Amino acid sequence: MINNDELNGAQIVLEALKEQEVDTIFGYPGGAVLPIYDAIFGQNFLKHILVRQEAGAVHAAEGYARSSGQVGVLLVTSGPGATNVVTGLTDALMDSIPLVCITGQVPTHLIGTDAFQECDTTGITRPCTKYNYLVKDVSKLSEVIHEAFEIARSGRPGPVLIDIPKNVQLAKSIYKPRKDISFKPHRIKSGSINIDKNFIENLISHIKKSTKPVLYVGGGCLNSGPKASEELRKLAELTNIPVTTTLHGLGCYPGNGKLSIGMLGMHGTYEANLVMHDCDLMINVGARFDDRITGRLDAFSPKSVKFHFDIDKSSINKNVNVDFSTNTDLTHALSAINNYISSNNINFDHSQFSNWWNKIKEWQSTDCLKYDQGEEIIKPQHAISRLNELTKNKDTIITTEVGQHQMWAAQYYQFNKPNSWITSGGLGTMGFGMPAAIGAQMANPDALVIDIAGEASFLMNIQEIATAVQYKLPIKIFILNNEYMGMVRQWQELMHGSRYSESYVDALPDFVKLAESFHAVGLRAKKVSDLDETINEMLSINRPVIADIWVDKKENVFPMIPSGAAHNEMLLSKYDEEKPENQEKGKVLV
Amino acid sequence: MSNASVYPEPNNTFKNSKRNVLSIIVDNEPGILARIVGLFSGRGYNIEALNVTVVDVEENLSRITLETIGEQKVIGQIIAHLEKLVPVHSAINLADLNESYEAEISLIKVTYFDEGQNTKAHDLADIYRARTVTKKDGIVIYEISGTSERVNKFLDDLNGINGIKVEIVRSGPIGLGV
Repeated sequence: MINNDELNGAQIVLEALKEQEVDTIFGYPGGAVLPIYDAIFGQNFLKHILVRQEAGAVHAAEGYARSSGQVGVLLVTSGPGATNVVTGLTDALMDSIPLVCITGQVPTHLIGTDAFQECDTTGITRPCTKYNYLVKDVSKLSEVIHEAFEIARSGRPGPVLIDIPKNVQLAKSIYKPRKDISFKPHRIKSGSINIDKNFIENLISHIKKSTKPVLYVGGGCLNSGPKASEELRKLAELTNIPVTTTLHGLGCYPGNGKLSIGMLGMHGTYEANLVMHDCDLMINVGARFDDRITGRLDAFSPKSVKFHFDIDKSSINKNVNVDFSTNTDLTHALSAINNYISSNNINFDHSQFSNWWNKIKEWQSTDCLKYDQGEEIIKPQHAISRLNELTKNKDTIITTEVGQHQMWAAQYYQFNKPNSWITSGGLGTMGFGMPAAIGAQMANPDALVIDIAGEASFLMNIQEIATAVQYKLPIKIFILNNEYMGMVRQWQELMHGSRYSESYVDALPDFVKLAESFHAVGLRAKKVSDLDETINEMLSINRPVIADIWVDKKENVFPMIPSGAAHNEMLLSKYDEEKPENQEKGKVLV
Repeated sequence: MSNASVYPEPNNTFKNSKRNVLSIIVDNEPGILARIVGLFSGRGYNIEALNVTVVDVEENLSRITLETIGEQKVIGQIIAHLEKLVPVHSAINLADLNESYEAEISLIKVTYFDEGQNTKAHDLADIYRARTVTKKDGIVIYEISGTSERVNKFLDDLNGINGIKVEIVRSGPIGLGV
């Protein structure tokens, strides 16, 4: 019997994506996904972006998700298509980025036979996704896809993978719309929206008692949505508490806001790290006490009462024990606190923290981010500062690769709003930035999207420049070229007696010619006097641009808390010596 | 040896003990056991014993009982990570309950070479109230259930009989809260 309402699996995928209002999908075709590609062919709601390698698709989807707050979606084939996205899925899991990744699989009757381009995709990706499915029955497909979206975006967001065998893509069933599906709460695990009144009262009484408080803000604030950042700003300004952010928290409180004391952690500011060390009250808003932040755990903020807001229960007391915690979604938690303050007419005396602020100003006067820009060679810090200055009136999104340039971008570029800074923090994936810029540009066609890159990272996914050219995405790749894997070289200098084992990148391409060969635009600045002109020219071109900025090859990132050291054992410049006992302990750490 | 010493009244076995027996209710779906086991191996936790079976056919639920070791803080982390898994309904440490009861089932094959050995084994089985499942050609299979401690004691005593061969299968501890 022919039922005209029936669709095949591939059409069901498209129908579900349409209902989820997905307008962009990043992908790469192959044998096991051909039916889905066939369904893509005859429709016009979904724009498919053809990447040049599957790793590009997953990072582009991450960039899309981070810059839009939506779920990023990608489509790849079985076997190598699936294994090529493993790094990106792990990256998204670490950094809590919502993705739905659809992979093709060999037909069900060939599963387990070592068929061509077969791999155990769900087995391989189980530890690097929030959840994954192998769909063997087409009648379950609509439900699976809609549940996957719910899981990806709920609670602590993350990547979800759906593996669909080719015969399931061709088998027929009725499409089940989202409204007809009742999701099971134990599977979706949405964050709570109610916060315990005792928690609020405890927090307020501790703020009242405190003389040295700090707000320590992380990427959770970003994931909760832009309202969380607004509420955070309100709370900080009501109470006059200094705000430091993690790498992912940058922009959640404006970098130019009067309470901002900059980023904290391994390459955070002197003032932020000393505030963390000396504070008597730490309010952690959506951060996870990552090892880049805490330094040596037994010396981490020894005198503070700690409050922790985290939607993920397993983040509480994982690395650092806290005194009070809540798993309520941040937007709801922070607005409940602000409402409690206003409805109970609670006033905070701003002079309560004046000694603390005086101390902070004293630390700030160290000017820990100062550098000496000479006459000729461009200092990488200067390159970022000029980029910041020349783009500050534009709607800019910055992505980065991983390494020294990433830290300089975090230190010298000022982020004043959330979702304008996209970087690989947890996993530290070189090659992330350029595809992420492609995704961000797709989600924000009018924004100025710049990938601040190092030449070594850029080479890891260089093929994606062709994607940017194909879709006329005017992304800018701003390479701080020092011919080294700079962060590796820095660690070798500090911890391995300057034995630069394999960290020099010999035989680099000519990036200007390389850009031209990809039909993009290549620019170069070799000395300080070229810098502004090169940046301005880059900004004036409405096409993909690779700007090759030659910077000082031996510059290191400071301040630095070496691995195994405490916040108050920061190195401020190359003239600071690390304690030898810390150096030995730190060597085994990463 | 009195009966009371080897077959005590059921008591509250997990409370205040150093053992951590986790009781986890999950959706019975492909890959669920791999998710649980992968969580333990990936994060460096240990599994001392593991038992999984469907317990509700209609709702398609399985109960996993899992014995692990670790400080209180580690167990708290394990439970938080388990609860994050999509198909997990609940995860509890039976030791955290005011009242919970434990049992384990074991089949024990005794190969004996003379009647003296058989009599000794049979006497022990009698004391421990182990049931004879089958008996032929110098082989007896006993079934014993009770706390893990009781099974351990029975095995210790059996192993005290010179010259017999003992082969064991154990379900691992299972438990329920009141």
